Amino acid sequence: MNSSTSLPSARKTELELPEEIDLQVEVANVGSRTLAILIDLTLGGLVLLVVYCLGMLFAHNVADDWLTRFSSNALTMLLILLVFGFQWIYFNLFEWIWNGQTPGKRMLHLRVIKIDGSPVSGIDVLLRNLSRPIDTLGPMGLNGLFMIFVSRKAQRLGDVMAGTLVIHETAIDWSIFDQIEGPAASSGTSITAPAIRLTSAQWELLHRYLNRRNQLQVEVRERLALSLYEQLKPLAKGTDLELSPLPSEDWLVELARRT
Amino acid sequence: MTLGTFVRKNRPRWQRLETMLAFIETRGPRRTDRPFLRELTSLYRASTGDLAFAQTHYRGTTVLLFLQQLVGRAHNQIYRPHRLSFRVIDDFFRQEIPQAVRAHLQAVTWSAIIFLMGVALGLSAVQFDERAASIILPSSMLDSIYSGHMWTDSFFSVYPGPVAPTKLFTGNISVALVAFAGGLSFGLITAWILFLNGFMLGVVFKLCADYGLLGGMLSFVAGHGVLEISSIIVSGGAGFVLANALLNPGSYSRSDAMASQGRSAVRMALACVPALVTAACIEAFISPSHFPVWFKVALGLTMGALLWAYLLLTGRKAALQG
Repeated sequence: MNSSTSLPSARKTELELPEEIDLQVEVANVGSRTLAILIDLTLGGLVLLVVYCLGMLFAHNVADDWLTRFSSNALTMLLILLVFGFQWIYFNLFEWIWNGQTPGKRMLHLRVIKIDGSPVSGIDVLLRNLSRPIDTLGPMGLNGLFMIFVSRKAQRLGDVMAGTLVIHETAIDWSIFDQIEGPAASSGTSITAPAIRLTSAQWELLHRYLNRRNQLQVEVRERLALSLYEQLKPLAKGTDLELSPLPSEDWLVELARRT
Repeated sequence: MTLGTFVRKNRPRWQRLETMLAFIETRGPRRTDRPFLRELTSLYRASTGDLAFAQTHYRGTTVLLFLQQLVGRAHNQIYRPHRLSFRVIDDFFRQEIPQAVRAHLQAVTWSAIIFLMGVALGLSAVQFDERAASIILPSSMLDSIYSGHMWTDSFFSVYPGPVAPTKLFTGNISVALVAFAGGLSFGLITAWILFLNGFMLGVVFKLCADYGLLGGMLSFVAGHGVLEISSIIVSGGAGFVLANALLNPGSYSRSDAMASQGRSAVRMALACVPALVTAACIEAFISPSHFPVWFKVALGLTMGALLWAYLLLTGRKAALQG
């Protein structure tokens, strides 16, 4: 499902703020969390590979025997520290200084927050990351996957222990609000056509699609148009649009002009 | 008000809040002045109002999600926990870590008992049948013991200079942290790690005694052994604290018990990090050297006494006052 149409069905959870406003956030799903981990692993692996290759090149190209031995020792030490650092420090450090994000999470717009919506503290980050041997690494990852799958707030054991959850931050298309909507916009084109009322969610969905359609592949574009057409068609009941023979995409453009 | 009007009317405010948040998130709150903070809180309050309005009128829109996250971010900055300072670190090491250990001495005791059971079983296994050693020890180590040499000589010639302590402390810290995290497996992994390490120690001791290496073995282990064994026992204790929260949450829910006990447990586990780095330096530089045995024994006992004095005595006064 495309994110612009699946918005209402995404898993959400309520947070409570001191201002007595319920904050509803979109919990990150298993797929994006796994992908974020894979990105982080790849980054770590790349750093390791680059250091290894550079170190090897250096060690093989210096003539001095003492220097060779020294550099190969330094390289071994560096590699051991890198592996250790990736396993125990990387996630802790990034989630701590980047307020709940690692490079992988940042790329996928994921963030770790406390269960009450407040930012994670150092101890929270330590708790959720030091428990990775039990629920993320190697075969134990199955345990974490299972927990994320069944838990209402998609928490793995480390998240439960730290009282944290991983959310997905949605991108927003501001340009759709720049145009003036309502009868004023369509008054020049068709005076006779009655206005059709959309809810704000439907209005937004329609305009997000119309704004984005030129960047989509043809099949995706048509499929989305059809799915939107089917969703919005009941609204046109009783108007001339109901029986209009227009293809779905043009029908949507026409609908947008009448709202 | 239509969604478009709402956005056009209020968006400048959200954008201003966003730039202020970006500033405060990268530079930290110290760099801000009074007018800045006043504006931030008033924008925050105005945006919570927008959020409440959007919640009633614009359900299911991305604008609502955007506002929720904007308000969440502002909330994060306004109600953020302490930033790291010298005082926070000082409190953490001088008070929080030892207090956590003292609060859970029972778990530490259980951890020590399982470790000692491992030692006892290791000793008696070799006593019963010498081949038991081959279950757990690598054959290169066995060969050197059978031929009457300390296996440590070869370890330190393979990993010379600063490589040896690096390898030792990364390995030992990983074991200690896995013993802590193992508490989440209802303590099974923790118990297994403690038992295995104890068992290995028992087997090596008995084997060395049988092949006339006891003196060499003691002189090697004395310097760092107390610190290493204490660390694994304390981090095992941390694992059992977690396991206990899972198994006996009392009047709390399991997740609440885990959340509150986890906070002490992770502090206990972190106590091992400096201890294990020290132990690794001793193990790499002093243990294989030709310092006299009495010096190594004295060093080991002093280090062990310092660690336990730190864990059992530091921060008592503050705890009584506080």
